[in-house]
Amino acid sequence: MNAYRTLRPAAFALGCTVVLAGCAGPGPRPDSELLSAASAIEQAEASQARQYEPVLLNQAQNKIADARELLDREEHDRARRLLHQAEVDAQLAGARSETAKARQAVDEINRNIESLRTQMNEAAQ
Amino acid sequence: MTLRTLITSATLGALVLLTGCAGAPKQNPVVDEAQILYDQIKNDPAVARSASTQLRSARKNLEEAQALLEDDADTSSVEHRAYLALRHAEIAREQGLRSELEAEVANAEERRKQLELQRKELELAQKQSELQRSAEEAEALRRRMEAMQAEQTERGMVLTLGDVLFDVGKADLKPAAERTIDRLAEFMRAYPERRVLIEGYTDSTGDEGFNLRLSENRAGSVRDALAANGVSPGRIDTRGFGEAYPKASNDNASGRQQNRRVEIVISDEQGNIQTR
Repeated sequence: MNAYRTLRPAAFALGCTVVLAGCAGPGPRPDSELLSAASAIEQAEASQARQYEPVLLNQAQNKIADARELLDREEHDRARRLLHQAEVDAQLAGARSETAKARQAVDEINRNIESLRTQMNEAAQ
Repeated sequence: MTLRTLITSATLGALVLLTGCAGAPKQNPVVDEAQILYDQIKNDPAVARSASTQLRSARKNLEEAQALLEDDADTSSVEHRAYLALRHAEIAREQGLRSELEAEVANAEERRKQLELQRKELELAQKQSELQRSAEEAEALRRRMEAMQAEQTERGMVLTLGDVLFDVGKADLKPAAERTIDRLAEFMRAYPERRVLIEGYTDSTGDEGFNLRLSENRAGSVRDALAANGVSPGRIDTRGFGEAYPKASNDNASGRQQNRRVEIVISDEQGNIQTR
């Protein structure tokens, strides 16, 4: 009886493991996903995401790092998901950086226009 | 506890996890979030114009997430798809925003160019009116000088008072000089930055010392007349040169007459006068 009692949590865990193994099958190695995610990071960096969206960019890079560890353990499907997410995270970081830069461009040109107007008003007086 | 309860426990554990995987309710917060954002942007013209690929990816992933949810697939699969859908929708929204901002920049750039053009025109007009004003001023000065019968020399504008304005051997200015003095005084009032140097000269007849004093005194007479007409004495310098610097030969009467004179040298705008 006592032996069974101590075994109960272990059995519960066993059940979990069986199901988890079913959830995350091995599948093919996501090498092309790894490349895509890395290239998305590069593009985001080219858009100056390091400056404008550092948190989201780090998040994407962490997901790639985690995916590499999963690949070492041959958990290909979980790695693939992380890589897909890393790719869109990086794309979003790049897109937000581009928006931020466009907003700055708008502000700058509006400042230019404002100072031109001031100059002209002063000149006209 | 029996073997049976042990088996029951293991089954229960599996079931708990399976429930987690399958997601019994056919609603999922991540799917909802993706759906809400997708609905927000799907009819945005800027997004449609500039982010059609991302918008399509968002819809495709959203539909897959919903299909997985309907099929009672495990939550992590559903949420993974929903996450991708949400991200693609967010990217599409950013791209739409960016294209609107870029259009705004292009418009503003056009406006800035027009303003720049207007400013240049304004500056040109101002420069022209400035040029015109200074040309008018120069013309007015020329006319006044002409009226005073001043001559342009290398020392500047010089006004010469002939000997007919003084009695022989005397320093007093004759009434005939009044008109010339009036015009000079008026000129000095119109151009307050200018100064004058009044120089007396004689011919070589008579005592040299007497001639020197006479030339000094005649210059002084002109200064007094100007001062009496309201010109500040501080703007007037006088010098007597006596027989020095003759204008013509002292050997004949007409030459000597030319040498007996008072010259009034008018300064430049900074008050500078080239002295002898």
